[in-house]
Amino acid sequence: MKKLIILVLGLSMSPFITDAQDKPSIDLKNLFGDLRARHIGPALMSGRINDMEIHPTNNQIIYAGTAGGGVWKSNDAGTTFNPIFDDHSQSIGAVALDPNDPDNVIYVGTGETWTRNSVSYGDGLYKSTDGGSNWKKLGFEKSERIANILVNPKNSNEVYVAVLGALWSDSDERGVFKSSDGGETWNKILYVNEKTGAADMAMDPKDPSILYVSMWEFRRTAWSFSSGGKNSALYKSTDAGETWDKIHNGFPDGQLGRLAIALAPSDSNILYTVIEAEDPKRKGLYRSDDAGASWKQLNNDFGITVRPFYFSRITVDPRNPDVVVKGGLSGSISKDGGKTFKSLGNMHSDIHDIVFDIDDSDRMYAGTDGGVYRSWNGGVTMEIVENLPLSQFYHISVDDAEPYNIYGGLQDNGSWYGPSSSSGGISAGDWNSIGPGDGFRVLKHPTKNIIYSEMQGAQNVWRYDVDNKLVKTIQPLEQVGYEDLRFNWNAPMAISAHQPDRFYMGSQFLHKSEDMGDTWEIISPDLSTNDSTKQQQVDSGGLSMDNSGAENHTTIFTIAESPLDENIIWVGTDDGNVQVTKDGGKNWQNVVSNIQGLPSNTWTYHIEASVHGKGIAYAVFDGHNSGDMHPYAYKTTDFGMTWTNIITDNVIGTSRNIQEDYENENLLFLGTEFGLYITADGGNHWEKFTKNVPPVAVHFIDLQKQTSDLVLGTHGRGIIIIEDISPLREITTEVLKAKLHFFSSKPMKLSDQSGFSGSFGAETQFVGENANKSPQIKYLLPKRHTFGKMSMEIRDSSGKVISKLSPGKSKGINIVNWSGNIKQPKIAKGKTLAFGGFATPRVQAGLYTAVITKGREVYEHTFEIVNDERSGLSLADRNLKHDVITKMYKMTEELAYMVYQIDTFIEAPETKSKLKSKLIELKKTLVITTGDNYVGSAEPELREKLADLFSKIVQSYDKPSNSELEYLSIVENRYLKAKKDFDKISKKIKSRKDIQLKTFGEFTE
Amino acid sequence: MKKILLFVLAVSASITVNSQTADEIITNYFENTGGMENWGKLEGIQMSAKVNQGGMEIPLEITQLKNGNQMTVINFQGLELKQGVFDGEVLWNTNFQTQKAEKSDQESTDNMKLEAKDFPDAFYNYREKGYTVELLGKEDLEGTETFKIKLNKKPMTVDGKEVENSSVYFFDAENFVPIVIHSEIRRGPNKGMTSEIKLSDYQEVDGLYFPFSMIQGIKDGIGQPITMEKIELNPTLDASAFKFPEEITEEGNK
Repeated sequence: MKKLIILVLGLSMSPFITDAQDKPSIDLKNLFGDLRARHIGPALMSGRINDMEIHPTNNQIIYAGTAGGGVWKSNDAGTTFNPIFDDHSQSIGAVALDPNDPDNVIYVGTGETWTRNSVSYGDGLYKSTDGGSNWKKLGFEKSERIANILVNPKNSNEVYVAVLGALWSDSDERGVFKSSDGGETWNKILYVNEKTGAADMAMDPKDPSILYVSMWEFRRTAWSFSSGGKNSALYKSTDAGETWDKIHNGFPDGQLGRLAIALAPSDSNILYTVIEAEDPKRKGLYRSDDAGASWKQLNNDFGITVRPFYFSRITVDPRNPDVVVKGGLSGSISKDGGKTFKSLGNMHSDIHDIVFDIDDSDRMYAGTDGGVYRSWNGGVTMEIVENLPLSQFYHISVDDAEPYNIYGGLQDNGSWYGPSSSSGGISAGDWNSIGPGDGFRVLKHPTKNIIYSEMQGAQNVWRYDVDNKLVKTIQPLEQVGYEDLRFNWNAPMAISAHQPDRFYMGSQFLHKSEDMGDTWEIISPDLSTNDSTKQQQVDSGGLSMDNSGAENHTTIFTIAESPLDENIIWVGTDDGNVQVTKDGGKNWQNVVSNIQGLPSNTWTYHIEASVHGKGIAYAVFDGHNSGDMHPYAYKTTDFGMTWTNIITDNVIGTSRNIQEDYENENLLFLGTEFGLYITADGGNHWEKFTKNVPPVAVHFIDLQKQTSDLVLGTHGRGIIIIEDISPLREITTEVLKAKLHFFSSKPMKLSDQSGFSGSFGAETQFVGENANKSPQIKYLLPKRHTFGKMSMEIRDSSGKVISKLSPGKSKGINIVNWSGNIKQPKIAKGKTLAFGGFATPRVQAGLYTAVITKGREVYEHTFEIVNDERSGLSLADRNLKHDVITKMYKMTEELAYMVYQIDTFIEAPETKSKLKSKLIELKKTLVITTGDNYVGSAEPELREKLADLFSKIVQSYDKPSNSELEYLSIVENRYLKAKKDFDKISKKIKSRKDIQLKTFGEFTE
Repeated sequence: MKKILLFVLAVSASITVNSQTADEIITNYFENTGGMENWGKLEGIQMSAKVNQGGMEIPLEITQLKNGNQMTVINFQGLELKQGVFDGEVLWNTNFQTQKAEKSDQESTDNMKLEAKDFPDAFYNYREKGYTVELLGKEDLEGTETFKIKLNKKPMTVDGKEVENSSVYFFDAENFVPIVIHSEIRRGPNKGMTSEIKLSDYQEVDGLYFPFSMIQGIKDGIGQPITMEKIELNPTLDASAFKFPEEITEEGNK
């Protein structure tokens, strides 16, 4: 009801190229139409935040630049956030406002800067001049990651950008750049070499020509990380970037790593830096009281020195130069100028950025691996922002329950499963934890209520008996002759379509269990390259050792047993092998060398064994960790002997996953670092899907068989679902030529299910959008309809129009929801509303026809409505219910007509006053004639009793109960008596024939 | 030489359809939908529509007059509930519980006063209203070539602060009628999100063309469709229908 009013208020204020194969050539451009995605989070654990930014004059406005989920803006001091950057790269390095025009001018530097193994990358610098509604790219396409953006507070045209640059390769697009024309043109003003980028930057707000920049030498490979070198340094410029000097007086000797730099806004002479150095004793926090001329080491606690590549961020209280906060595992705060620190209050670990409120230093905001936290008491207690659905999935899977569940593992946030639909929307409480640590693959046993999950490096692989709440670990252990198992950080597991209890895991060997992980057998030799130079993880990290297992390499990464033949198994390795066996593991063949055009050792990210043929498989490769940002996807139809490249030039971003359709072999879905691509012609044309799918990294895609829902596991925006992709199966060159094409529809069920949402306290929580439950009519329009009438009716099998709908007019796929209900009965007019009278009865199961009239053309589509068998009603029950509802519907309208006649007679001057008072007395027993719709309401009369019973029966899944029928007979008798009384009075009105009355038909129209 | 070349390019471009100015597009819009003169003569519009919510049909009647008066009347079970009624001074709604008229907050009323000049169309004589327009370019909007025009109205006030009041209109490049309108939501819990109105089924009513179908919602969300059943021009209405029925009188306060 409330929604309706808002709606009404709102209203009143508005005035082909083909590669010559026998495949079809279908370009899906502009055809997706109403096919759109819904987001279901979860948000309860949120995701990694890279950068926080506050508005300099309005403390209600806060921005969060997230690692993989775009830019979010709060207009209510961090209570809730909305996304404002959904058309561009979702990996964010820095967000900055022009201090001269902070309401309008926003800069976003893409590409996260806390360079862990799973880090994404960006595609340049963007600017908005209208508060984030529209964005313009300002270049830096190859920058990969941008660390800071600063705008001169006295000159909006002067902008500095610190480009950290490529993580996985050499690049000269790094260092500090300056623009003097608001970002139109740029000059590189500080550059060291192809390995060293700008990691942090600060400006003296009182003299914007004074700049500080830390340069960092760093590099990652798939198997190691190196932080530090002789080129890392801290620089200062006093001439707006014309010249730069190293400011190392008091710094430790030797090589340096990642340095953070911060200036106290209240005293420009006070600077803090945190130094990653060769000597562990000389690492830590340093302070300068003379604007960088000299430095003193103050602290080398764990909280200050931990993982510099992940936590080099210092924030100084804008009012007090001695209050310093440092990012870290827990985050640390000092009140004595950096001498001593204590941890910030309990919150998700891994704190990347902290900002202070502009007016009150007790109010702080922290960006963590698990979202944004607010503090009202200087960081002592922290509370999470509950509406940031930034969850970072590595992998997802679905089951066949109704509604189906989604399972998946998250970066630093464990493993989870939750429903695709829930009463009142999918809220935080709908998600179930299924494992701690970093979560990766989570699989449901095909037939039993058992879930497999894991943590990093298969340190634990859990088998969880959900019904009995029994947990055990089942990871493969070393076997004689097979010592030193190497598991990927994101270790592969797989189940079988043929043997429900079968469970696979991959180290460098393929492990198979036939008893759900209790007993393991190794069924392959080492399937990796076993390159020992890529197995030195103990030395990884550079100046700060960082052996977290995240760099484990030369391991199996993907396993696929053919759904058509259990002896065909495909295995892909992180060092670029594609191995296949056709005899259940006795013999293996590495077929990667048959792929033309694929650089050697490119990570085999996913292999999809097809349902369309035993020899058919797809392989997707990801080369980003050698600096190769091209997507690679290939198809084989002969067990890998030959491969066809199925990528086109318009696909942007490295590829991680492919999902085939189970019915149409040419329909494929590809996940890349910048979103989802779809082809309907086997890869001749790919089209980016943008309908509510931002350019987020899509790590895994699954297609739920019963619903044909495409489920995306994204690394930054949680689970995204595109419901029922079946229309895409039907798009052929013939269909595209039609003036209007109705898509075929399976029988559509009118669900009897309902429930209670219990959404208490969810006002500021993210709640995931539910699945559509309505019958839907879907059609394809070749062109948008703008001029002339285009309408839609639903007719029953007798041709009677039972509903009028507003059809969509867009080019491409249009989806019209129909409630499956007929309109509410016409209700007698009273003083107040009879709320039971808003109930709309369901149509009966059977055949219905949707008729679209577009100008002179008429298009028809017949579809079937079926009942929900879960309610257990027989056909006789359904018929009884229908008959009772029909009878009450009629009675309701007849009563309405009676009251209409009474009102007309009362108002007619011809009616004698004695009869008038009799009519008034009668009316008082028929409808409420006093009071209001809330606590001033009067006692119910016949209309209200009838309407309430009508609504009770209509809204129940069940057939009418005996007590409902008994009550109905009481109401009916009262109605019949009223009718008799009315007829009696009415006959006495002599002038009746002179009073103009609508017929019953006219009245109910 | 380079300058001359640029000049030539510019000239040749100006004679193609691509280089329409915002004013030309707006002029074309009014000409294609009945002519500036006829739009200027319009005194009022009354639109009858039915909204379908989960099978429930809700009849609406929306009236807008040249003097800025407007209201939406919802008919529930024979009871008329007025929403968004503006009499030039007071913005009011019927409270659903008490069925009595209640004033909207002053800020909403003040913002409504700014909108009151938008009849018959926000673009009509936009300069006289102090509005500005900006052609943002040509855009392929889901397969339809459009001109993207930003309309900047006078700033509105939200929570005591003046904020920009603008919308982006996508005019169909073939026939110059708006087919999509985007506006940033400036207040309430959806503040910062973009509202979207899709317009279609333009049909003639006494020489003027109106969109008979609208879908309203949040961009990328599911919209609510509204179909006009009838549009009546220059309806005869008693001015008192818009008047706020005052209960609290000065006399009563004495």
